[in-house]
Amino acid sequence: MKNEWILEKNHLSYWLRQLRKERDLIGPLRDEGKDIVFRSVEQIHEVILDSPASLPSPKEFLIPQYDPMLRLKVAGHELAFPSRPQPVSPDVHMKESFGKKRVLDLMDKKKRVIFGVRSCDISAIRLLDRFYLKGYRDPYYEQRRKNTLFISVVCNNPDPTCFCIGLGTGPYLEEGFDIQLTDLGNRYFVQAASAEGIKTVRGMSFLFSRPRKTDLDDQYEVFLSAKARFHKRISLESPRRMILAGRLKDDFWQKVAARCFECGGCVYDCPLCTCFTVTDRRYPDGVERIRLWDTCLFKGFTRMAGGILPNEKRVLRTMRWYYHKLIHYPETLNKFGCVGCGRCAITCPGKIDMATIATEIKGLALNGEEE
Amino acid sequence: MKKIMTVCPYCGCGCGLYLHVENGRITGTSPSRAHPVNRGSLCVKGWNAHEFATHPDRLKYPLIRKGKSLKRATWDEALNLVAARLGEIRTKHGPDSIGILSSAKCTNEENYLMMKFARAVLGTNNIDHCARLCHSSTVGGLAAAFGSGAMTNSISEITDASLLFVIGSNTTEQHPMIGMHMLEAVDRGATLIVADPRRTQIAEFAHIHLRHRSGTDVALLMGIMNVIVSEGLVDADFVRRRTENFDPFEEELKRYSPATVEGITGVKANDIRRVARIYAMEKRSMLFYAMGITQHITGVDNVRACANLVMLSGHIGLPMSGINPLRGQNNVQGACDMGALPNVYSGYQKVTDARARRKFERAWRKKLPVNPGLTIMEMMDAARVGSLKAMYIMGENPLMSDPDLHHVRESVERLEFLVVQDIFPNETSGLADVILPAASFAEKEGTFTNTERRVQLLGRAVGAVGESMPDDGIICALAEKMGYSMSYRGPYEVMEEIALLTPSYGGILHHRLSDGFGLQWPCPDSSHPGTPYLHRKKFAKGLGTFITVEFQPPDEPPDEAYPFLLTTGRLSFHYHTGTMCRRTAVLEREEPECLVEINPADAERLGIRKRTRVRVSSRRGSIEPRALVTGRTPEGTVFIPFHFMEAAANILTNPATDPGAKIPEYKVCAVKIEKIGT
Ligand code: SF4
Ligand code: SF4
Repeated sequence: MKNEWILEKNHLSYWLRQLRKERDLIGPLRDEGKDIVFRSVEQIHEVILDSPASLPSPKEFLIPQYDPMLRLKVAGHELAFPSRPQPVSPDVHMKESFGKKRVLDLMDKKKRVIFGVRSCDISAIRLLDRFYLKGYRDPYYEQRRKNTLFISVVCNNPDPTCFCIGLGTGPYLEEGFDIQLTDLGNRYFVQAASAEGIKTVRGMSFLFSRPRKTDLDDQYEVFLSAKARFHKRISLESPRRMILAGRLKDDFWQKVAARCFECGGCVYDCPLCTCFTVTDRRYPDGVERIRLWDTCLFKGFTRMAGGILPNEKRVLRTMRWYYHKLIHYPETLNKFGCVGCGRCAITCPGKIDMATIATEIKGLALNGEEE
Repeated sequence: MKKIMTVCPYCGCGCGLYLHVENGRITGTSPSRAHPVNRGSLCVKGWNAHEFATHPDRLKYPLIRKGKSLKRATWDEALNLVAARLGEIRTKHGPDSIGILSSAKCTNEENYLMMKFARAVLGTNNIDHCARLCHSSTVGGLAAAFGSGAMTNSISEITDASLLFVIGSNTTEQHPMIGMHMLEAVDRGATLIVADPRRTQIAEFAHIHLRHRSGTDVALLMGIMNVIVSEGLVDADFVRRRTENFDPFEEELKRYSPATVEGITGVKANDIRRVARIYAMEKRSMLFYAMGITQHITGVDNVRACANLVMLSGHIGLPMSGINPLRGQNNVQGACDMGALPNVYSGYQKVTDARARRKFERAWRKKLPVNPGLTIMEMMDAARVGSLKAMYIMGENPLMSDPDLHHVRESVERLEFLVVQDIFPNETSGLADVILPAASFAEKEGTFTNTERRVQLLGRAVGAVGESMPDDGIICALAEKMGYSMSYRGPYEVMEEIALLTPSYGGILHHRLSDGFGLQWPCPDSSHPGTPYLHRKKFAKGLGTFITVEFQPPDEPPDEAYPFLLTTGRLSFHYHTGTMCRRTAVLEREEPECLVEINPADAERLGIRKRTRVRVSSRRGSIEPRALVTGRTPEGTVFIPFHFMEAAANILTNPATDPGAKIPEYKVCAVKIEKIGT
């Protein structure tokens, strides 16, 4: 039997309220400042059901901006680090003893449900999974991923900056989500794909009914209308080919780089950028090791011993961001390193975001300028 | 997870951002999409603003000096000691033997209370803050010309301008979000003129980049105006109806023919003509300036010259037309507005004006001092000769930020008593007798006023670290100990008092600031919507005044012994004396050390390569940074950022000041360079 149901809209609050009993319920809320931001929901009726793209992306709940990894408390003054964090125990308490030094494990064990996420962000999280969980399994990511349930919503109101449509990463998904809702007016079409998603719906089956044929038709209609609403259709394939064929002159990238403010916003906001740095903070009684968001757009990100900066020229770093997303991702993961969420277009002060640059490159290709 | 809307604590753009809080701990920052200044963007400092507030170095409890070291104390002990010592010194040497430095990093309410503390509790007008070092020339210069010394337009108007004239501002790096608006204006077809000796990022987008010699701004601007007059491009109607004193000014202009000016500034006469024509003929022209104009011994004249230029072409008093000093600190505009200055109360009401003084005397129930007090630089001089005995410094670090640091240190060491109130230990607190730990921006309520006069509410994300307290709470507690009652339920009550006594803040009340993104002063009453641009129909003081200025060379031009011109400034990853940004992992990682920028031609002559260690010396001292060889800085000039205590640029700088504004000439002094490494 397919994992598809119908949820009456007036049952939504009840359902979320039940979910909140076991998890921190996070959803898009309108703030006094007229922004819509994802944060813990106090008043369930205030959740915005068709929110625009949030800044930053939901990756903040899997790889937070500021992530304490471990803390050493030292009786004497001698400090030592274990070679690897030992992530097991909940929250902050003692895990293991190394002589006089106590190793504290700061693993985040909170359970969360993130409501109202967009399809593109779910597609991005699936790529994050491949980065963090294939080969070396990042225990911090793994822990949070396991404890976080995403309820995504089929977008029927894309922002002017959105372009998932050309990339197959939205506005709705066929697979790979936990739970996906399609708004059918007075009811939701509910689909569950992951084991956790299915379990969550089944656990409260009395709220859900089986869909009828008309529901399926209605859902299909929503899909069609969603697709029709995009302002932008951007293919990343043609920029990729242009780059691979070496048809972009240095001059092009120079012009792009000249506009970079080095704010880091595109990386911070992007749902699938993963750059981080690790730093240690000294306290009177020990040390805390934290992981912080970082970006490859900064020259110091690749600094080598002796202060050598292999990517000192800004153009090398700006180019690298595009190369990583347009060339290296497809080579290694067979997907573009961009899901078309449009956040970099919102946040970039220099307007050199993915959509703008991809469009410019395509323009060059069409004009045959670089042929 | 909670997200609390607040205002960035770094620069004067005043971007709206959210602080993220998880389990009572600050864990991140993100931009506000709806905010009119940053519109979903932040610069790298804003993105990382969450980090320093939780840094373990934060001061967590009061400290009192015992011999060579500082020992932990209770609030009561510390405040009793401060109250007793300040009281004693006041009795023995008079109130003017005490000096106060307020802070452009603190809220309006805190600055207001600090100036009330100085005037009503101590009885001195000796209060000043770092605006002295950045925009005192603006406050004085524009007030004399127009009656108000603030940015005339709003940041959101920039994108609709058709001409931007940026002089002495490295906008994309120092006011990034204003730079963003400028870039958008250029994309939309606006003409951009940049005047800056350095080839800054914004200069790369300029249609015309004038690289005049540092310190020749008056000549350059006079040359431009000379052309405007001689080619008949003056907005004669505007000059006649809205300004005064044009004739003597016009007379003076005659001495600045483009050819003469070319000789002084090094800018081609033809470029001067081009700029004059474009600027005068374009409508919707906005002029922007920053430290490149103000930090000279002719700072006030530089500002006056800018003011004359906008009046001459009638580019003021309309949207997208005006003169826009870009204020540096998050709340330097507010600290000035609140009267943390030696000569004015809040709203620039003069202490020498008997009516204003009576008004404050009645409200504060205290006789107030009559004579204007000392400026920062004068306090340092007074400390050195022994007439200033004590200082109370809140949120400032003069031992890094003032010029000629050796001299400043000597002065501060001579004080009998020094109180420092800050969030981190810094160079200055090392000399303190008492250190009072303050709460950071994330831990308090109040308002900041950004560079476009927008008064914005802070959001309190978490409780104060350790035993630290918000600055306003500390000031009030100290006032009580000194026998003057200052009791408020919260910053909103302080703001009510400010509104009562300050005409331009008359309608600014906390409850009005929470819907939307604050209010722009002047806002005279509680139904007033705020003022996006100034001097509509008439200037704040009635007629605009042309003030005649004359070119004067810098105080210490390069000579044979010290052949290079040193100019100082900031980097985009750092902020001022580095107390916050150098405790932020990514910012510090990006620019971990001081580099002196030197032109490739000079470098080659001296055998200096990238990262060669050099000794840079002036008549006042020397530092040893490494070299960064770049064409950004012109030949004969070197540039050093002033963030790094390991190689503090202000050891070198010249303490000569503008005679009116008392702003030091950070932008020009003479140095020599020796290669000491390989
Ligand atoms: S590159 Fe830009 S549009 Fe693509 S996923 Fe990242 S932030 Fe979104
Ligand atoms: S531009 Fe200024 S106010 Fe805005 S984020 Fe950067 S430092 Fe903060």
